[in-house]
Amino acid sequence: MTDSNQTSAQLAQDPSTGLTTVGGGALVAPPPTRRRSRKGIGWPARLEIALMTGPTLIVYLFFVILPVAVAAYYGFFSWQGYGPPKDFVGLRNYLLIFQDGAFLDALWHNAAIVVLSLVIQGPVAVLLALLLNRKMRGQTLIRVLVFIPYVISEVVVGTGWSLMLQGDGAVNSLLEHIGLGWLRTDWLANPGLAIWTLMGILTWKYIGFAVILFLAGLQGIPDELTEAAAIDGASYWQIQRRITLPLLGPTIRIWAFLSMIGALQLFDLVYIIWGQYVASTAGTSTMATYMVANGRNAGEYGYGNAVAVVLFLISLAAALVYQRFVLRRDTEGAITGGMG
Amino acid sequence: MAATTVATRRATRTNRRLAWGSPSVYFVAVLLIGAMLAPVVYIILGGFRTNAQITTDPAGWPNPWRVGNYLGVLRGGVFWQEVLNSTVIAVCTTAGVVTLGLMTSYILARYRFRGRGAMYALFAAGLMFPLTVAITPLYILVRTVGLMNTLPGVILPQIGFGISTTIIILVPFLRAIPDEIQEAASIDGCSRLGFFWRMVLPLSMPGVITVAILTFIASWNSYLLPLFILNRESTFTLPLGVQAFASQYSVDTAKVLAFTSLSMIPALVFFSLFQRRIVGGLTGAVKG
Amino acid sequence: MRARKLLAASLVLAAGVLGVAACGQGGSGAGNSGGKVTMTFWNNATQGDGKTFWEKTVADFQAAHPNVTIKIQEIQNEDLDGKLQTALNSGDAPDIFLQRGGGKMAAMVKAGQLMDITGSVTDATKQVVTAGSFKAETLGGKVYAMPMGVVPGGFFYSKDLFAKAGITQTPTTLADLQDDIAKLKAAGIQPIALGAKDAWPAAFYYDFFALRECTSNTITETANTLKFDDPCWLKAGQDVQSFAATKPFNDGFLTTSSQQGAGSSAGLVANHKAAMELMGAWDPGVIGSLTPDQKPLPDLDWFPFPNTQGGAGEPGAMLGGVGGFSCSVKAPKAECTAFLNYLTTTSVQEAYYKAFQSPPINSEAQGAVTEPYLKSVLAAYGKAPYVSQWLDTNYGLNVGNALNTAVVNLLAGKGDAQGIVDAVKNAAKKA
Repeated sequence: MTDSNQTSAQLAQDPSTGLTTVGGGALVAPPPTRRRSRKGIGWPARLEIALMTGPTLIVYLFFVILPVAVAAYYGFFSWQGYGPPKDFVGLRNYLLIFQDGAFLDALWHNAAIVVLSLVIQGPVAVLLALLLNRKMRGQTLIRVLVFIPYVISEVVVGTGWSLMLQGDGAVNSLLEHIGLGWLRTDWLANPGLAIWTLMGILTWKYIGFAVILFLAGLQGIPDELTEAAAIDGASYWQIQRRITLPLLGPTIRIWAFLSMIGALQLFDLVYIIWGQYVASTAGTSTMATYMVANGRNAGEYGYGNAVAVVLFLISLAAALVYQRFVLRRDTEGAITGGMG
Repeated sequence: MAATTVATRRATRTNRRLAWGSPSVYFVAVLLIGAMLAPVVYIILGGFRTNAQITTDPAGWPNPWRVGNYLGVLRGGVFWQEVLNSTVIAVCTTAGVVTLGLMTSYILARYRFRGRGAMYALFAAGLMFPLTVAITPLYILVRTVGLMNTLPGVILPQIGFGISTTIIILVPFLRAIPDEIQEAASIDGCSRLGFFWRMVLPLSMPGVITVAILTFIASWNSYLLPLFILNRESTFTLPLGVQAFASQYSVDTAKVLAFTSLSMIPALVFFSLFQRRIVGGLTGAVKG
Repeated sequence: MRARKLLAASLVLAAGVLGVAACGQGGSGAGNSGGKVTMTFWNNATQGDGKTFWEKTVADFQAAHPNVTIKIQEIQNEDLDGKLQTALNSGDAPDIFLQRGGGKMAAMVKAGQLMDITGSVTDATKQVVTAGSFKAETLGGKVYAMPMGVVPGGFFYSKDLFAKAGITQTPTTLADLQDDIAKLKAAGIQPIALGAKDAWPAAFYYDFFALRECTSNTITETANTLKFDDPCWLKAGQDVQSFAATKPFNDGFLTTSSQQGAGSSAGLVANHKAAMELMGAWDPGVIGSLTPDQKPLPDLDWFPFPNTQGGAGEPGAMLGGVGGFSCSVKAPKAECTAFLNYLTTTSVQEAYYKAFQSPPINSEAQGAVTEPYLKSVLAAYGKAPYVSQWLDTNYGLNVGNALNTAVVNLLAGKGDAQGIVDAVKNAAKKA
């Protein structure tokens, strides 16, 4: 029966990406069950497994794994997209990528977006969540309204904002109306400013998501803890620092992971607002826009695939590093270790 | 003694809290919501103005209100065709993701077999494959299979890419169902699959709903995959339509704003119908 | 039992989805059942008189050929190349589409995506379209597109604004042009509208300077070799840099589009917010659709790109040449070529000229042109010792895009002349 005990223990402690599970650690000795043969499970079970996971595996392998593998293959060719690839060039594409200033710029922009997203949205969302985490009338309404930008597609957000941020658009005009006319500037074209404009739009769109996640996490913290600390004379901020924030840790770490991956893959917003040509001049190009501009739009599909593979490897490396060093406490090697 | 005092104090405080929060909290909340909604309101109001109004006073109020732009978009066939396409794609994607994801998560959560760890890691690794990475070979793949310009050409890859997140969310849910229930059911003569159908499904509803909603929203808003796969206007989804409309009618800012705000509405309606589930679902997913 | 039913149901669902996928292959291209022919037609006239022109032309053609139906799809100019390439590569190409020529056409020919129409050009067409016009649409001795209009480049300007700044004569040398720019600035007028967001308008400046600095041989040869080692390429970049140093462009040119909306460069000229722009001869039509009353700009006029000192290029050489339409290799040959020939007939060409205010290719229709600036365009085109396609068209998507972007970088102060040469060399390496 040690098998079953171990299974229960594993189940309790082993979610993926740090999501904590309820009912964890229930090491209750189960009632006697059918003994499972040590040789493995029976054929009926195997059939069930095959039938239940088969279609999923087919779709997943065909539409997700295969393209990435094929991308790596195409990346070794110089290929214009029609007919089979014929012009093998080995690692040339990959070398060119890292020698291309435009790619390095895009990589730098991505890194900046990752860091800035975390630094800007994290603290603000935590503060907002702390503020809104009270039972008060209208709480649900506030939550709903805060979440709305997240629900709107990036294309709509991009179209709307690019209209508002034009030289003679609503933003500049509003600034004039309220007497801040000296702030009028070219929000989109100024290379020093454009990245901050992008960060502003990204924050606007995604902070609702962060706030909701943190609110959910805060609800998991028992009131008794903060009450007890308050009785013991701790100030509000001390309570937050010593009790609330650490307990909110797992949630924050998950959010940071999702935010990081999203920032590395950013495409829609930048492409809609800045287009394929100006993004790099304005300082807002990302690896994904670089890939589309130099791959599909340039008719060089071999090179574009190589960029895709590089983007994948960078995301994978970032995720693995993050999993290993940051999420380690929350999970027991969800991705790096599988299920043990 | 202290306990009772605490209890009563808590009771009264709770009652008062449910009434109204402190004004400063509401002030911040109002500011926040104002900032969140101002652009949305701008887009919606913009559709009620004419171009001349927008040129002369970009940040002003509609004066007079014109319904022409909205009516024009609503009467034209393009908008509704795109709504239909988006709906079909989103519904099929969600159905596929939920079905396949649930089946697979159940197996991963409750069966033991060699290779289970590897299979789980395989699906988890899919999080690392953003669509942007796979899009070019995926486009070529879809083209080879002959699905260009078809809705299944978008649905199937979306199902594939939605599987990873689904499994990541659902496996903990399904695992959290105690073994005892399963043992009890099996003692009562219920097979593993019967257990799935009768007990697991209802118990895992919150997780399933979360997954369904997130998948639906993601599919509704997706741009990159339809951009590559759907080239014929009749197959466009709403995000593609917004961008095409914005380019085509770039002269007419008011019309573009009308189209854009109308395309926001389905997502907003869907969200407001299910917001309790979404927020609750996210809460559940995080808390477990 | 129920569990097995669920299993079966799931299998059916999965199989059904895959089955639908396998069956759901959208057929495209020409249907040819029972003599009825359907064709798709892609062009970039998304609004205004141009759109109406195409609708009428297609309707007339359909009336004369009752078994033919043509579906028009208008695509915004900036999206056209990308969508067309995707469609051609996926085997789902439109039957008739806008053809830019140059390296872009060469890539399509190499991929076997274009119909060879050499034998299908009727004598009637040959009578009204000169052999020279076909040169731009010919590769390896075969004709792959029917020329439609003449769209050479030059400065379209507002006579009123020039008069307001005290400019009495249009500039003929670069020094003159820079004087005029200074005068316009002094009068508080933005001298030049530039739609740099689309990148190719910025590259026009580089292209023209290259035309002045490089021999015509170099320009033609480079299309084949894609090598930019000749020092004239660097000199052209330096010319652009010194030209841009006087800040002649409108505010926010980096995010100004060329044709989309009142804030585009064409819109700026149309609303007298800028004095001139360097554009191809399609511009009058675009400007006309963006004026407040949506009628042609009454004070519009044209002068060619000024000549420079000391360059190796022939003075008076022009960029632009010819725009046309191609048939895809899968299109129904008889009907498609019939349509293309129809496009060059005098009545259609005259209607085209009126709708787009752009010079037609048909020599009889050219006689019907009344606008003085279009006459100047045609005259300069006739006199030009050498005409090249826009360089980004000439050198293909890959190098062309890189060239355009590099020029934008230079104008924004982020790159220099050497950067342009490096960028195109870089792009050539990626091919």
